[in-house]
Formats: sequence, structure tokens, C-alpha cells
Amino acid sequence: MTTTDPGLIMDPAPDDGRPLLVATNVTKNFEGLVANREIDFEIPRHSIVAIIGPNGAGKTTFFNQLSGVYHPTSGTIEFEGIDISAMAPHVVAGLGVARTYQNIRLFQNMTVLNNVMVGRHVRMRGQWYQAIAGLGGIRQEEDATRRRAFQLLELVGIPRRSAAELSKNLPYGDQRRLEIARALASDPKLLLLDEPTAGMNPGETRQMTDFIARLRRELRLTILLIEHDMKVVMGVSERITVLDYGEKIAEGTPAEIRANPRVIEAYLGKQATA
Amino acid sequence: MPRAFTMRAAIRSGLIAGVVMIYLVAVGIASAFAKREVVTGYLTLGHLMLVIPPLAIGYAMAGRPLPAYGRVTQALVAGLAAGTLFAAAFLAAVALSPGIRLVLNRVSTALLDFVGFRNLGLEPATGALLNLGLAGALALIGGLVRIAPVAVRRAIVGGGSALLVMSMVEPFLRPRLLQLSLSSVAQFIYTSHGLATLSAALILALGAVLAVSWPKVRSTARSRLAAADPGTRSTLRWAAILVAIAFLYTLPTLSGSFLTQVLVLVGFYVLLGLGLNIVVGYAGLLDLGYVAFYAVGAYFTALITSPTSALGWGLNFWIALPIVVLLSAMVGLFIGAPVLRLRGDYLAIVTLGFGEIARVLLGSDALKPWLGGPNGILSVPFMLGNGTYFLPIVGKVTGPAATYFPLLGFCILAAFIAYRLKYSRTGRAWNAMREDEDVAQATGISTVNYKLLAFAMGASVGCVGGAIYATHLQGVVPGGFLLLVSITVLAVVVLGGMGSIAGVIVGAFALIGTPELLREFAEYKLLVYGAVLVAVMLLRPEGLIPDASRRAELEEARELEEGELKVEYDEISGDA
Repeated sequence: MTTTDPGLIMDPAPDDGRPLLVATNVTKNFEGLVANREIDFEIPRHSIVAIIGPNGAGKTTFFNQLSGVYHPTSGTIEFEGIDISAMAPHVVAGLGVARTYQNIRLFQNMTVLNNVMVGRHVRMRGQWYQAIAGLGGIRQEEDATRRRAFQLLELVGIPRRSAAELSKNLPYGDQRRLEIARALASDPKLLLLDEPTAGMNPGETRQMTDFIARLRRELRLTILLIEHDMKVVMGVSERITVLDYGEKIAEGTPAEIRANPRVIEAYLGKQATA
Repeated sequence: MPRAFTMRAAIRSGLIAGVVMIYLVAVGIASAFAKREVVTGYLTLGHLMLVIPPLAIGYAMAGRPLPAYGRVTQALVAGLAAGTLFAAAFLAAVALSPGIRLVLNRVSTALLDFVGFRNLGLEPATGALLNLGLAGALALIGGLVRIAPVAVRRAIVGGGSALLVMSMVEPFLRPRLLQLSLSSVAQFIYTSHGLATLSAALILALGAVLAVSWPKVRSTARSRLAAADPGTRSTLRWAAILVAIAFLYTLPTLSGSFLTQVLVLVGFYVLLGLGLNIVVGYAGLLDLGYVAFYAVGAYFTALITSPTSALGWGLNFWIALPIVVLLSAMVGLFIGAPVLRLRGDYLAIVTLGFGEIARVLLGSDALKPWLGGPNGILSVPFMLGNGTYFLPIVGKVTGPAATYFPLLGFCILAAFIAYRLKYSRTGRAWNAMREDEDVAQATGISTVNYKLLAFAMGASVGCVGGAIYATHLQGVVPGGFLLLVSITVLAVVVLGGMGSIAGVIVGAFALIGTPELLREFAEYKLLVYGAVLVAVMLLRPEGLIPDASRRAELEEARELEEGELKVEYDEISGDA
């Protein structure tokens, strides 16, 4: 494994013990259906935490509230002390929250390189009139963005020669990696990964979890994983939160979660009988 | 039996070709073009139109992955199927002769004589047989061309195209040559209505030679260029740009008044296409009411610059233009704002409504004191020196050429802007929005701002088109801003290739220029537009000149398809 360019460190802030993200008492109703009920949740800076739970437990709904797609019916979400619970997704992205999707959602008819470059949108300043006039350091910004994009492609392990291909023509594993590169392009402090190993075999899954650990270590990121498959998160995350029927039923280290009888009942129990 | 399956496909395709032929005849297209001679005394455009379907179907059928004899057989079968259907329809029409005209009024006795080769003294039955045989033979030729070596194929296609193009430009080129006192050249190439036999043969040969040698010339040029040092390369690039500019600059002088008129018309659609391309091609917002911006630009210009308008300011065009652009951009925002939440088809329908509202408002009695109702606004002054001015080298510029030069300037400007935006943060944000709006927003793109920006940019470019249009016609009337304009501009963008700047230019020439050169088309223009668009969507969905970033996808898809065909064949041969 190569050492990463220190220029890629996303969040150089020291670990001062304060959490990067705090969700307090978050409830989300969909016309009577309670998808999340009074969830309290914290992500310590530079940690890897996971939310797990069976299908329909409200994991993705919760995730969507963290990234601004949905707004909580009640409760607050604070990111670095800023209340983001009513913010639009693009504003949240600008603060330093980036995400990937469970079913890969790349910009399919754009090239691989452009997918990463567009990911850097929030860190760029060039306006349309500057682009037309070619003024305001637009060339330098484009060049810097392109270099950064290539650097990120290298980091996630997509070969340089694929850069000009349309993203939909990439192999599945590379598409997952490209989605991560796109998210990283915005220099996030918090990276939200929605089932990053979905559809992967055990070997690929191991590679991916190793890669996630490396991202945290070398890029100094904070990472939140959503997983359906409990085994994936056991090795990589420090803290795990378990949701079931929209409620938080357990929270703790992987060992604690493994031993928690409510989790076993709600989650592992079902799988064991399956 | 697998072989029966492939034969069934051939027959089915042949029948489609037959239907096309019957359609061309029954609607009257073929006979309209029968007056247009390609090679004097031998071939008319009408014949050619009937010749093309069987040729094309033969060519297409021979492209299937089979052994050579199988491909040719398929071509022949398809041709015979087409011919049989066509001949049967002919006989039926003859049998029903006078009565059929109540339904198909174009099917005259003269037409039936033309189709049945009555001038050769043939009875209808023999004529039908001859048609059948001809269709088969033509499909066979098409098939043989397909399986022939690449060079031969290239030569035939190249020569044929050269012949067709030279004959098509005859009504404009011949008088032009005479005017430029090149009458001996004109007399050599053309008779009074079509190509002379000798020159036709020469053009055929020349086209063939050019087409065959072109790939070699191109690859040599490419490798030389790649080997050249950066200094030489940039010199060459500038030289090419200069040559292009010089060509465009002298084009009206060379081509004469009528062709310049056509160029001006094409230019308007290039400009509008470039504007709509930003909205539809870049940002993926399907706008069917684009004509509204064209109209707004034209009416604002007329209102501000005409001394007889309600305002009566009589401003100079060049002072008025920035004001008009600003106002139109605001109209763009005004129309864009309420439709921000709409996507896809819904957006299309609402913008379609806006386009119609604009048209109705312009001609309405309510706004008559300002916009003149159905009479519009007249006495709009021309943008430059009352329509006559002097340019270096070209000399005195008047008539359509007076519009040509400023229009060309604005087209180049619009293309430059479109190019710069395409490869910028803005362009990428638009593309992302086109691909997936939700993800674009999660990536940090303010979709609201970028949608409004796309609408405003599209509106600005469209309104510049309208402004030039108003001063070109020196007046505006509501009848010039029909839904058809929106649809035609969209067709230009789609035909050329969404998001592709070169595509817009090619699309405008193909859709606007060609019908002007083939005046017989006028009546069938919309019919042909429809057919062309359907064909493009089926055969080349990415457009004539696909956007560079989309081209790769295409090739991928094609490889896949060929792979599947290969499998199909392998199964067939394994079975047999």
C-alpha cells in the first residue's frame, strides 16, 4: 500500500473528543408511518461507526436526514455545531458531508474523470461568466481539479486509462470505487457510505473494508457505514448502532453488540433461523 | 428450422421496403421529384427515390453475420419481397384505376404509366414483372456492394454521393457559374436541367477516387500532425482557422443571393439550436416552448428600435441588443422559476404551454396597442446601415448577405460560449443534473440555480436570434413564431446529437438547408422530418455528430450488439 499524499488529508482537525455529528431525538414520519423514532446518535471525529439493522429498519431514512435529502419531523442534527436539520442537500454537501448510494448512482453518461471533477463542485469557485471569459484563474482551477481527480482515481485504484470512459462502462467494482472517489473529491469531513459492499463477494468485501479503514487512517476522515450484513462492519467499525422498526435498540462496540440479547433477537436470531 | 427464421427476417424487411416504395409513390413524392433530372435523359431524382429502398434493404440484409452466399441470398429475398408487394400494389391500383383517386388523389394515370414503364410500351402485367425484377436486382446489387471489399464499397458510395450532390445543387450552381462568367464550365457540367452525361461520369469517377483515397490521406495527415512539434501544430491550427474564416467570409460572394438566403435561414437555426442545446443537451431540461424566447427577443427589439412602435424610441439596434438580452434573460428566469420542480415529460408539457401562451398573447387584442395584434410591429430598422454596407475585400454588401455577416458573428460567438461552458464547472454541473438530479444536489450542486441559469442562457441566445430576425425582416408578426419553430429547433438538436456543438451545425444544415435546396420537398417537409427523426432514433440514437463524451458509449453498445448477432449466427449454424 502506497503512502498517501498529505495534500489529500481531508480533515486535519485534532481529536478534541467532541463529536463531529450529533443527532438528538430525531423522529421522521411519513404520513403516519414512523420511519425513525426518537433516535439519539453521535459520530466521534475520525472514527468509523456503523448503523445496522434488518431491511426496513429505517437505516436509509436516517442516513437521508444526515445528508439533507429528508428533514426530520422533530429533533435536530448538528454537524460541527451547526444545525443542518433544515438544510438542503447541496448546502450540507458544502459543509463537508459526502455520500455514496446503496444502488450505485453515478452520472452514467459522463466520463469517469468528469464524475470525479463534478464531485469537486463545492470546492470550486469558477462562475459561468468567468468560464466564458476565461478569466479569474479559471484555467488554473480546472487544471488543479483535474490533477486532484487523477490523484483520487489513483487512490481508489481506478486505472488512468479508464478516465475517458463513460462511467457506466466501468466494471461493477470500479463503479463502487468511482462513487467513493466522487464523494472524496468534495474534501468531506464526514463520508457516508450506504452499503458499500452490496453485491460483492467475500474477497471484494474484505478489500473494501480494508480500503475504508485506510481512508480513515490516511485521509483523516470520519466515516459512517450503513450495512445490512452485520459481519462486514464487525471488523472495521469502532461503534455500532442497531436500528429495528425505526428505533435504536442497541449501541456499543462490536463485542457488546454481538453479545446484546435484543440485537440477537431482532437481527441475528432471524438470520440464524433462516 | 433456423434458416427459415433468417429468411422470414429478410422477407419482413423486404416488405417494409416495399411499403416505403408504395408510400413514396402514392403520396406523390416520387412523381414530384421525377421532374428533377440527375443525369439528363437517364435518371431523375424520382427514379432514384424508388431505387433507394430496395438498394438499402439489400445492403442492410447483407450485413448480417452469415456466409457470403447467405448474405446475398437474403438481400435478394428481401428485394423480391419488396418488389412483389410493390408490383401487387401497382396492379391493384391499375385495376381500380379511376376510382382509387377518390382515396389517393395523387395516383394519376400519368403516375401509373411512370411506374409501369408505359413509355417502353409495356402492358401493366409486364410492367409489374419488370418492377419486381428491378427491385430484386437492386437489392442484389445492394447486397453485393455490402460484401464487396471496403475500397469498392467506398468508391461506389463516394461516387454516388458526389453525383447526387452535384445534381442537387444544379439550380443554384449553374446560374452562379454563368454570372461569374464561367459559362464554359457551366455548359460542360450541366445541360439545361441536370448533369451532362460526360461530366456525370467524371464526377462519379472523381467522387470514387476521393472516397477511396481519403482514409489514407487522413491517416497520413494525422500521423504527420502527431509527429510535428507543438509550434508547427499551433501554426497549422491557426492556418486552418484562418482558411475557415476566409471561406465563411467570402461565401456569400461565391454562392450568390439565393444560397445566401438559405445560409441565413440555416444560421438562424444554428443560433437557436446552440441556445436550446444548453437547455436540453447540457442541462437535460426538455423545453418545447423555446419559440417563446425567439418571439420575445424579436418583439422587444421591434418595440425598442422601431420608430412607429408604441414606445417609438427608435433606438439603434446595437444599443437595444444588450437591453433585449437582459430582458429576455429575465423572461427566461420568469418562465423557469415556476417549473423548477417539474421533470421530464411534465416540464415538456408546461413549456409547450408557455410557447403557445406567448404566441397567443403576441397576436391578442389585449396587447394590440403595444404589440400591434395580428399586424405586428413594422418599420424595424436594419441593424447595419439600412441594409447596405461595405466590407473589405467583399465590397458592397446588400440583400441577405447583409444579415449573413452579423448572424455569422453571433453564431460563432454562441458556439464559443457553448464550448467554454461545456468544459467548465458550470457545464459539468448541468450534465450532472441531466444525469441524476438528486445525486447532483447531494454532490453540492444547487439545482435551482443551475436550472435557472440554463433557462436564462438559453433564453438569451434565443432572443439574440429573435432580435436579428426582427431586423432582418424589418418587422415582426405573430405568425412567425409557431410551435413548429420550437419543434424544428429541437429536431435540429436531436438530429445533430444532444449536447454536441458540431451536431447542431450539421443538424441545421441537414434539416433546414436540404429542404431549401430540394424545393419539391416543401410540401412534404414535415413528413420527411418525421421520417428522418424516427430513422435517426432507431439507427443512430446519439445523433449525427455525437457529443464526444457520449461516443464511447455508442461503440460499446454496437460491439455488444454485434456480439449478440454473432451468437445468434453461431446458434443457427450449429443447428443447421
